[in-house]
Amino acid sequence: MIQLALKSISKSFGAFNVFEDLNLQAQAGEIVVIFGGSGTGKTILLRLIAGVQEPTSGSIEIEGNDVADIAPEHRNVGMAFQNFALFPHMSAAENIATPLIAQRAGASAVKAGVDKVARLLKIDHVLDHAPRELSNGQKQRTALARALAAEPRILLLDDPLRNVDAKLRFEMRIELPRLLRESGATVLYVTQDYKEAMALGDRIAVLASGKFVQIASPEDIYMKPANLSVASLFGDPSINTAETAVEVTGKIISVRLGGVQVTIDSAYKSYIGRAVVFGVRAESVALAGPKSAGLAATVMAVTPLNERTVLLLKSEGGWEFLASLPSSSPNIPKPGANVKATFQSSGTHLFDKTSGERLHG
Amino acid sequence: MGELVLKNVEKIYRPNRKAPVHAVKTLNLTVKPGEITALLGSSGCGKTSILRMIAGFEDVSSGTITMDGKPIHTLPPVGRNVAMAFETYSLYPPLTNGENISFALKAQKLGVGESDWRVKAIAEMLEISDILDKYPSSVSGGQQQRVSLGRALVRDASLYLLDEPMGQLEPRLRAVLRGRIKHYLRENNCTTILVTHDQTEANALADRIAVMEGGVLQQYATPAELKVRPANLFTGTFIGEPPMNVFFADVAVNAKNVTFKIDGGVTLDYPAAALSKDVNRLLSSHDRVGIGIRPHALHVEKGSIKGKVVACQWLGDQTHVAVEVAGRTVVSIAHDMVKAKTGSNIQLNVAASDLHLFNPVTGNAIAHGGDLA
Repeated sequence: MIQLALKSISKSFGAFNVFEDLNLQAQAGEIVVIFGGSGTGKTILLRLIAGVQEPTSGSIEIEGNDVADIAPEHRNVGMAFQNFALFPHMSAAENIATPLIAQRAGASAVKAGVDKVARLLKIDHVLDHAPRELSNGQKQRTALARALAAEPRILLLDDPLRNVDAKLRFEMRIELPRLLRESGATVLYVTQDYKEAMALGDRIAVLASGKFVQIASPEDIYMKPANLSVASLFGDPSINTAETAVEVTGKIISVRLGGVQVTIDSAYKSYIGRAVVFGVRAESVALAGPKSAGLAATVMAVTPLNERTVLLLKSEGGWEFLASLPSSSPNIPKPGANVKATFQSSGTHLFDKTSGERLHG
Repeated sequence: MGELVLKNVEKIYRPNRKAPVHAVKTLNLTVKPGEITALLGSSGCGKTSILRMIAGFEDVSSGTITMDGKPIHTLPPVGRNVAMAFETYSLYPPLTNGENISFALKAQKLGVGESDWRVKAIAEMLEISDILDKYPSSVSGGQQQRVSLGRALVRDASLYLLDEPMGQLEPRLRAVLRGRIKHYLRENNCTTILVTHDQTEANALADRIAVMEGGVLQQYATPAELKVRPANLFTGTFIGEPPMNVFFADVAVNAKNVTFKIDGGVTLDYPAAALSKDVNRLLSSHDRVGIGIRPHALHVEKGSIKGKVVACQWLGDQTHVAVEVAGRTVVSIAHDMVKAKTGSNIQLNVAASDLHLFNPVTGNAIAHGGDLA
């Protein structure tokens, strides 16, 4: 069942268009991540759905009904913010109770609702604390509890893990999916962190220059990015790129990286002569000894990254690129080593140089 | 290019007041010529006090700091030949970004040609060539940070001090710049101290990491050693993202087997031969141990750790599987894509060679991978 539908939504402030013609359908209980950099309008989109701002054109439907004329408090939408936005003069329990009181629930129903959600979020021991007495993690859980308390059909979470430390962010990333599923709500989750987006989203909607450039599962976003900007936003380190053109010699299809010819999948033969950006993910670069086949390169530096090791390489033509290997791999080359690099096709893409669109090989 | 030695360095703020703050406690640290050392710790661990004492912005309360054998802790900052990049950038607002960088070279009295050439080269490396004529206030925080780095790196100094030097960098650039800067420091044989709270930065750049906590040096070792042979439970859980899974267990040793009965009902059983004789002997004198298992050492395969999948999250180049075991959540990480359904039963396994054992009271390491710590 489609719980939430955005139909051709546009929003502008005077002459400034934040976004145009956004379309999205979310199934009941689905977690859709809205992913994009700062200033892309992610928060404004949530505010339109919550009803605190109005779209310039287009409609928002909840359970098939246009909600344009329904006031925010009657839309059955819960929201949590990145800066928590707790009422400082109220205890955690009073904060959590506010949406229930707004619905004119009875005293016992309010208490039962608060207790239930507080237990779920493991903050039942700090319910009588004021926000200033709570740790950042507890504040964030209180804000989430408040958003969940009235058991909304739609839950809007605006980068809720932005202001908590790395350890807590990781813990919440593990815990949130189960919590959100248990709530049964349809969730729109805004973040700028690609790992959070991939970890939490059933689907990810990538917002850039006022449009959803791709709406797809994490797997598709990562393996089949719609364009170069999506490919660059997902992955650490960022995808390696080189501007080049598709060439043909006999039956061999190739591109040039730093002037050196590198064979690519013959499936790209329909793009001969096309100006492209060649992209290869760091973990799809395989390194072998100097006598193997591949692009000759020198290891400039080795920079470990958690359990992976990232190598900065310079090819013989001067193209700089990164390789990322599991740190447990045998024979990781040392700085100064000469190697041959090959590129696994699953992480290798061609993008049109002008439009940035991924070319289908 | 010098060798920096800190010997018995102490820092006590307000020593004569009611509540003196003992920020750095008996610190002994040697940074070899050309070595990159990271001072790593959370805020309040003493790392900034150490940096300020080396730079000369703060006196040592006692102890000595020497560079190539000569004491420098008595010299004014300007006499120490230290190049520094500040966390707050501290660029000169009336100078352009290019002038900020070349200003650092004025004292070296280089020929005009050489000075220009050096600024150009460092700007190219840091990808700020196009903003050299602009003023600091008109460029982004990330760009200002790169200018500040350039101003420090362009100099010929005995020591380079970099205070949280890359925190503001754009993610796209960060990995490449880490590589280039590490290459540059090594090529120019720069003795470098990097101060950071970010272990990713420290791991990527440093030859050795000095882990600080509560003003005390916990361990000074290479990034690989810190992972494989953490000195204590603090370093073990501090280094590594996500952190090591920690259990407490009763231990029983006989001629054939070593058995760990983890609180909550999980039992790990290993043949005695999987651990060295010394470890067997040592464990027979322990009733209880702390067990550390890194997420990458915990494999989704047939094993004695049984639980329910809480979350299974694929991040492109790795999968994080969170499993509820004996009432708590443990994390397993694989480099490839793992598919596990939330709520399903799952088994995890860990090899004896991947166990870290700690004294449960002191937290000091007893054994790593079957050998004595």
